[in-house]
Amino acid sequence: MNFRDVGLTQEEFEIIQSQLGRNPNDLELGLFGVLWSEHCSYKSSKSLLSWLPHEGRAVVQGPGENAGVVALNDRLHVAFKVESHNHPSYVEPVQGAATGVGGILRDIIAMGARPVALADSLRFGTDNSAAIIQNGVVEGIGRYGNAIGIPTVTGEVAYSSVYDKNPLVNVMAVGLLPLDRGVNAQGARPGSYLVLLGQPTGRDGIHGASLLASQDFGDATEHMRPTVQVGDPFMGKMLMEATLAAIATHKLDAVQDLGAAGLTSSVAELCYRSGVGATIRLEEVPCREQGMTPYEIMLSETQERMLLVVSPDNWPGIEPIVQHWEVPYSVIGEIMDEPHLVITMRGDIHAMVPPEILAGSCPSRPARSEWANEIRQNVPHLTSFRPLTFDPEQALAVLGSVDCRSRHRIFERYDSMILANTVWGPLHDLAILRTKGSKEGLAIALSGPGRYAARDPYSGGLAAVSRVVGLLAAQGADVLGLTDGINAGNPDKERVFRELTGLIAGVADACNIFAVPVTGGNVSLHNETEGDSIWPTVVIGAVGRHHHPLEPVPDSPWQEGMDIVRIYPGGDWSLGASVFELLFSQLSAYPRPDLERIRRVYQALDEAWNKIPSYGVRMIGAGGLFVAATKALLAMPASLGMEISVSPDDAVRQLFSEVSGQFLIFCDPQATPRLMELLGPGIAGEIIGSVTPDSNLVIRAGRAHRFERTKLDRTFRFGYGG
Amino acid sequence: MKVGVIIFPGSNCDRDTIEAVERLGMEAIPLWYTRKSLTGIDRLILPGGFSYGDYLRSGALAAQAPIMEAVEQAVSRQELPVLGICNGFQILCERGLLPGALRPNSSGEFRCTWEYMRITSVPRGFAGLKEGDVLRLPIAHHEGAYAVQPGQLQSLFENHQIFLQYSDETGSVHALTNPNGAVANVAGISQGLVVGLMPHPERAMASYLGSSDGQRFLKAWLGEGSQ
Repeated sequence: MNFRDVGLTQEEFEIIQSQLGRNPNDLELGLFGVLWSEHCSYKSSKSLLSWLPHEGRAVVQGPGENAGVVALNDRLHVAFKVESHNHPSYVEPVQGAATGVGGILRDIIAMGARPVALADSLRFGTDNSAAIIQNGVVEGIGRYGNAIGIPTVTGEVAYSSVYDKNPLVNVMAVGLLPLDRGVNAQGARPGSYLVLLGQPTGRDGIHGASLLASQDFGDATEHMRPTVQVGDPFMGKMLMEATLAAIATHKLDAVQDLGAAGLTSSVAELCYRSGVGATIRLEEVPCREQGMTPYEIMLSETQERMLLVVSPDNWPGIEPIVQHWEVPYSVIGEIMDEPHLVITMRGDIHAMVPPEILAGSCPSRPARSEWANEIRQNVPHLTSFRPLTFDPEQALAVLGSVDCRSRHRIFERYDSMILANTVWGPLHDLAILRTKGSKEGLAIALSGPGRYAARDPYSGGLAAVSRVVGLLAAQGADVLGLTDGINAGNPDKERVFRELTGLIAGVADACNIFAVPVTGGNVSLHNETEGDSIWPTVVIGAVGRHHHPLEPVPDSPWQEGMDIVRIYPGGDWSLGASVFELLFSQLSAYPRPDLERIRRVYQALDEAWNKIPSYGVRMIGAGGLFVAATKALLAMPASLGMEISVSPDDAVRQLFSEVSGQFLIFCDPQATPRLMELLGPGIAGEIIGSVTPDSNLVIRAGRAHRFERTKLDRTFRFGYGG
Repeated sequence: MKVGVIIFPGSNCDRDTIEAVERLGMEAIPLWYTRKSLTGIDRLILPGGFSYGDYLRSGALAAQAPIMEAVEQAVSRQELPVLGICNGFQILCERGLLPGALRPNSSGEFRCTWEYMRITSVPRGFAGLKEGDVLRLPIAHHEGAYAVQPGQLQSLFENHQIFLQYSDETGSVHALTNPNGAVANVAGISQGLVVGLMPHPERAMASYLGSSDGQRFLKAWLGEGSQ
């Protein structure tokens, strides 16, 4: 076997030779192949990710563990992370997406947290097969999440032909754990048992991480189907209960799930983080098939497996728990002092490698901070696209476009209510969950429009963070932490690496301005087929502390006569990267968000709950003011309508601009002056309309255009002309 | 009152159900599927979920679990009120403790939505519900289309066994208010003291969760409801 067969470069192979002081054998080469793959080592993104801030008041565990952990209050911690399963979901949509859900849930469980929510961010193409892929992905997410019993409470979807052959499936999981329940992968002590729990190991998913997820798609992709794993949510459920019950005894040294690169990654990471070595006896690993070789056992990515580290003294207390949940298990080895990972089979040593070299020595691509500075300063030219007249048909086309219309065909296939915590589910822009036994609830948002990053990745990075922080601010919720899902093409290409640099610099700059930490995330590169790459796409998940979760700030008005106020952070109106532009012109750069001003808007919204008696707020996003107003109208009692006025000479831009930091506020006219005061100088707050007793939407742009509620409802639910 | 809640491998609404029962001031007793006796249990709930991963057919494997022998005996002696919710309903049908079967939704897809449903006839032992009442409860299932043998439907109606039908807000039952293809919009049926329904009352325990009608329903089943 050659180093290229396992996806290593000449340079990497030479480093391995020199660090080992010898040539690795075939099994060892396989171990390096998976652990030094892009997917496992983050070698092309690690140095860029170091720009992200990780510190924050609520942060309990930053990046480097299975998931980030933040403090909700003095009793509960929250573990959360986003993960992608892009490549497998293209090759086999149902199982690819299902195992993505299973994988991120195990990351949360391995931190000792009981999962309480899932959120999905999906990107699909526009060609004929896109609908089939979407149907499979949605089926897969639902099949796993519904069966294991974790609600999918929020999410987003967007479409572009750049995702035709590289759909994106990013899933975020959120879990809760009592303060003293924390566990991690750092506590393994010499002499302790390595106990493998869960599904018997099979020949599935071998090289899933190193070859499938770490290379571009090409002619050979069809042969990759066997590298996709198959999910079993039933076993996942039993494994979850067994693992959480075992952790609750406080008798485990450490826990590590088995995900990409299976046993190899799990044991190597665990030993490396704990500063120990281990012996593994492969004949003790329960296998589904006879005659599996050491190579196959070590590299299998069979799902629903977990590794527990437990001392011989404590094992008798743990074993009955595992037996109760009827999960297959086996003691497969021991932790030892000597820093070696020794893999044996029936007494023969098959590999012996220091975990430090395996898990800690992969060379990484240096970040180019001079590129980031160039990108920051090089503000793209904004579009001069400025249609003169407002056309109601165009408005309906935007509302009914794939990027704006209702997602109910997707989210109704997910159980969004199980666990009975969902106060706000997928009908809203963010999810709000109560937590049993605590006053504070969870605010969860997930967003990352690729369109905004398409022509200016830096702007897209700023906007993605700005959006989720704004969604939480509108609820007066404190942002506890963010998780980032980064998706891009082949980083070996200078253009792609430049895009990645801009995207991550944008995320980092926005996090610094809003003073919010990133506690972990995921990078998926090589989203490229036959040389065509996706738009650099960052998906940001936010977890916040909601102070009044049983009583969210409404996102639509509720009575006649309420003022409709538009907040605009200032700067030029622009249609750059808007859905309107996409439909009726050519996609251009997204206007760079003015984060200093936006931060002041958020501060004002944050304070509003305590200072204004009753009001509603909705962020203006895809489709601009027109779509935000329509969604608010459709959520109001059917007897109510809205009348909104915009300036006749700039109606289209005012109605469809998607510039960051815009909101609609609905409030009692008596309270409007106090709201304006809160906004402070330089932030435009303008009364643009009011709630009417007529159930329809009237847009005044010079003359009045009337949109029937039923027409809006049909267009929003079924698409333009639907 | 001691309310037993059976937990099969793969049950996932057991915690929600236990919490709902406790919220109504009752004692909830989790019962692992291997139990062979129901001594000391006053009422029994089979909660929702994916028992045995829904493998073979929803409810088919759980219907053969050891504890179901004891359930069957208690039912035949007419001494134990039993409530099956969603997967619990499927299990009761598979065991033959309720007539009919649950087929895959007509859309072929899982569906999680809020639905209105009307009380068509009040099953034995319920207090505080009356015919014509409309409830708002969530559904979340893939196999929820109630089906019966040809000719059986009429006798079920005549015997007042059809107790819950998907309807609109005003209680009117028609094709547009059928979320899953169930025959005659049937959402729940009863036979003696055994009751099964596809919707999830345990998720509708407070208006901030979308509805408190589930609380009203469970209270009625516990015999604690008031008019």
